[in-house]
Amino acid sequence: MEQVRQIEPDLAFIGELMSLGGGDVNKCVQCATCTSVCTLSTNNPGFPRRQMLLAQWGLKEPLLSDPSPWLCFYCGECSKQCLRKANPGETMMALRRYLTSCYDWTGLSRLMYRSAAWELGILGLVASVVVLLFTLPHNFGFGLLSQAGPQALSRVMLNQFAPVEVVHRADTLLALMLGFFLLSNAARMFYRLTRNQQIPASDYVRRLPTMLFQAVTQVRWKGCQAGDAIKNWLRHLLLASGYVLMFTLVVIFLPWFQVSNDSIHWTSFLGYYATGVLLVGAGWMIADRAGKRGEMYRFSHLSDWLFPILLWLTAATGILVHIFRVQNLPMPTYVMYVVHLAIAVPMLVVEVPFGKWAHLVYRPVAIFVDAVGKDAMARSV
Amino acid sequence: MSKSVGVYICSGCSIGDSLDVGRLTNVAQKECKAAVCRVHPFLCGDEGLAEIRQDVAGKAVDSVVIAACSPRMKTAAFAFDPCMPLDRVNLREHVAWSHSPKDEDSQQLAEDYLRMGVVKAGKMEPLEPPVGEVSRAILVVGGGTAGMTAARGAADAGYDVVLVEKESHLGGRLANVRTGLPNHAPYTELQEIDLAGKIQTLTDHPRVTLHTATQVARTEGQPGAFTVTLTRNDQSFEHRVGAIVMATGWTPYDPARLGHLGYGKSPNIVTNEQFEAVLASGSLARPSDGKPAESVLFIQCAGSRDKNHLPYCSAVCCMDTLRQADLIHQTNPEAKVYIIYKDVIAPGQYERYYAKVQNHPATFLMKGEVSAVNPQNGDKVAVEIQNNLLGESISIRADVVVLATGYAPRAAGANGKQAQASEQGASFSSLEPGSILNLTYRQGPELPVAQDGFPGSNFICFPYETLRTGIYAAGAVHAPMDAAAAEEDACGATMKAIQCVEMVSRGQAVHPRAGDLSYPSFFLQRCTQCKRCTVECPFGAIDEDEKGTPKFNANRCRRCGVCMGACPERIISFKNYSVDMIASMIKAIEVPGEEEEKPRILVFMCENDAYPALDIIGIHHRQYDASVRVIPLRCLGSLNIVWIADALSRGIDGVMLMGCKYGDDYQCHFAKGSEIASRRLENVKETLQRLQLEPERIQAFQVSMDEYARLPEMIGTFVNRIRELGPNPYKGF
Repeated sequence: MEQVRQIEPDLAFIGELMSLGGGDVNKCVQCATCTSVCTLSTNNPGFPRRQMLLAQWGLKEPLLSDPSPWLCFYCGECSKQCLRKANPGETMMALRRYLTSCYDWTGLSRLMYRSAAWELGILGLVASVVVLLFTLPHNFGFGLLSQAGPQALSRVMLNQFAPVEVVHRADTLLALMLGFFLLSNAARMFYRLTRNQQIPASDYVRRLPTMLFQAVTQVRWKGCQAGDAIKNWLRHLLLASGYVLMFTLVVIFLPWFQVSNDSIHWTSFLGYYATGVLLVGAGWMIADRAGKRGEMYRFSHLSDWLFPILLWLTAATGILVHIFRVQNLPMPTYVMYVVHLAIAVPMLVVEVPFGKWAHLVYRPVAIFVDAVGKDAMARSV
Repeated sequence: MSKSVGVYICSGCSIGDSLDVGRLTNVAQKECKAAVCRVHPFLCGDEGLAEIRQDVAGKAVDSVVIAACSPRMKTAAFAFDPCMPLDRVNLREHVAWSHSPKDEDSQQLAEDYLRMGVVKAGKMEPLEPPVGEVSRAILVVGGGTAGMTAARGAADAGYDVVLVEKESHLGGRLANVRTGLPNHAPYTELQEIDLAGKIQTLTDHPRVTLHTATQVARTEGQPGAFTVTLTRNDQSFEHRVGAIVMATGWTPYDPARLGHLGYGKSPNIVTNEQFEAVLASGSLARPSDGKPAESVLFIQCAGSRDKNHLPYCSAVCCMDTLRQADLIHQTNPEAKVYIIYKDVIAPGQYERYYAKVQNHPATFLMKGEVSAVNPQNGDKVAVEIQNNLLGESISIRADVVVLATGYAPRAAGANGKQAQASEQGASFSSLEPGSILNLTYRQGPELPVAQDGFPGSNFICFPYETLRTGIYAAGAVHAPMDAAAAEEDACGATMKAIQCVEMVSRGQAVHPRAGDLSYPSFFLQRCTQCKRCTVECPFGAIDEDEKGTPKFNANRCRRCGVCMGACPERIISFKNYSVDMIASMIKAIEVPGEEEEKPRILVFMCENDAYPALDIIGIHHRQYDASVRVIPLRCLGSLNIVWIADALSRGIDGVMLMGCKYGDDYQCHFAKGSEIASRRLENVKETLQRLQLEPERIQAFQVSMDEYARLPEMIGTFVNRIRELGPNPYKGF
């Protein structure tokens, strides 16, 4: 006797998904053109067709345990070919937004995805905390600077403003906090994806290298046969390399990276590369999104904008700090330093574990779980 | 009997290059004693035609044989007095273009065709079209959408209309429906139905005589001269009309047969028609307790597309469900509407409305099969769905389940004499024969029904024709269709009805031999009252008196000649088509002696499909065996088996019959002709065996126009088989 599952559509879920970008999901007539044109969709039943149906019917549970939304890199070929203009590509994007908000156990993510005011408010709050940290205490920031005497205003003495050991400790704390939220959310996701599967742990262990390899290279993207997939992949790879490099410089090598005076260190050259890649990469993406060049950029949620804009601003203010310091302009350096951190810190604290950036772990985890599932399927056949 | 035949040979279009025209002239003049024989290099040109006209006008000839292209070509050029005997000999497509040029076999073929043509023309007599007083009024039966449209259309075109409706008001099914499907851009909003306006227009129309609460008690006569007796409240009165549009609509499929979909198990399981009343109440009241329904589940194809019920798609249920879903959401936008379908049929612009309704977040569509419908505690109904798109069986609970039931035509089928009318079809309708038109025809009181219980004929070729001349089905009784389609259909049927009265008034055949002035006459002195003609006529044209003597109705006749083929006494003849004429054509074929080893194969070809298919072979300049002699027949059903005996006794080695496809999806222009011919052939084969002739010498083939490319091979294979069998032993007797 076949199992019969009783289903009840969740209208609230449908409404939420529609507000997150899945507004055309109801137009789908299940013709499967999307799945046919997608070169990445090798699952059975394939995406995005199945996800469209589940979304239309408001079946939240199966979607929460589905890695498929993360297997898509949004080339948009499905949306282009869709006979009903149901925009399956954007619906998959909306699902990723929705899932990001669900995997986060703090609820912060959900608040931010549902409301622009919350998102901007929290970013602003963290930025204010950063600014206050530099202005209120007497032994840090402007307080410390006032004790350093007039020479700190005639030549750049960054350690008299933001002592590197203090900042380094704060960085480490920030990285730990960020890692904790990100990994705990990823663990929740992993649990949702795997709890109904009967696959031995050894299978997962065997596929761990896949996850790491995909996280570093994002090479699955290359499998997409859409016209500009390779370009998008390379651009994303460069951007990611710049971002990771910069993060490493700041969190691990800060004592060498944050130089107090106008001298130049070996770390500066790595910083130049990272800054260049971030400025060009993020700037290019912003321009593409503003010009709606390509399917991927046709629809934009606030989270899609904040992601590259914050990144670009971080890189731009960072290089300005560097320029002001090398030019020996003390006050501009200090002020720009505060501005730089007032952008970078909220970006890292808020966007990485709770925002769109979380995809940097969700995507490899999904690819990993999918690969393990396919292994098990292949063995059982 | 005409005496002076004029033979006009065209030597153009490469006929003169392939054939020895001089020898053809000799055949016409010396052998066939033609009064006049002329050759012209461009016979269909003004000069050639002038020669023919001059001879006819000067009474030098009274019958004309045109030996040129296929009779299907240049019909406008070779149109003379329509009553004058005329025969076309196909020297171009069937000889010059499809056989070796300057070849003795091709020459012999052409000469035989010429002999056959001259003999036939010599036996033809001038046509005398049927005469009689003709009524141009049109009777419309049924006052629903189709009937009202037909009545309005005919009346506006200047024809008197009698509109009969059995209910006390006009409007039909639409009278119960609040809003109609969109019929103009942007095709996304329901619209009001202006039924009152339409009814008023008809009531006020000076040409429309309106009878509500009235039924047809009796219909007798024939196109152009029907006498219709109507009854209302025991009063009865007569109208004389020329043609009839039957727009009796549809009946919902009996939901009592839908027990497997839960009908009857709960008051909350209703049909789409019953749900219309729930919608009209305005509160979506659940039938069991009157509480507002928060979820409604539609089961599509309830009884349709189901081999145990209606085998066809009822065409309206999908759009009707979408309309009802829309109305539900107009009352309560939060109500969940589930639609379980096999396919969503939303033709044409309806796609836009479908898209609009589907786009509502609380509309849930799922392709799947309903496997169980079970009422639950608390008045909900659980519906189980298998083979659905989710890939696992699911169950949905709803307050109300609506069965989108299909529709059966309101046709009454035919009596037992029309055995081929689908038995299944007859069971769909609860109507008894005699309850709609009450024809006094010998073959039964109602329109014969074809596949699936709809009265009609080949839908592709003849969309409006039924198997009764001058009576046209329109709207949902004709085929499953919605109101908009029914309006279009009614316009088409009305045009046909108008065409019918006009052609009948000129003594012409209506269909499919439109314009034909010939008709069969019966030499009743020799009739044996065997009734074969009255039984076999596919159109019920022949009634009987008490003794069984046929009573022919010319205007019901379609001039196919099935009666002529049926008659064992050979007493049924047209003035230009008779058993004797074809027999004489067969005798005119020169059969070479046994020693020449040249077989002769006679091919009886239906002139509607097989013959034009062979023309196409000529047009493509493809070759086939020159030992065949083709005789076109109006319909293979007019084949009289005496011709086969004649052919074999003349020494013809084999006979091919090429007719249209028959069966449920028949292509025969006369519905049953090719089938009847095949039946007759079975009887002939027994006779052959008695004569110790191989039955393979006679074979029937079904040919459709698009299979023309196979013809040379079919002919070649048959001729080779005959060569293997050896010559007809009766040669030379």
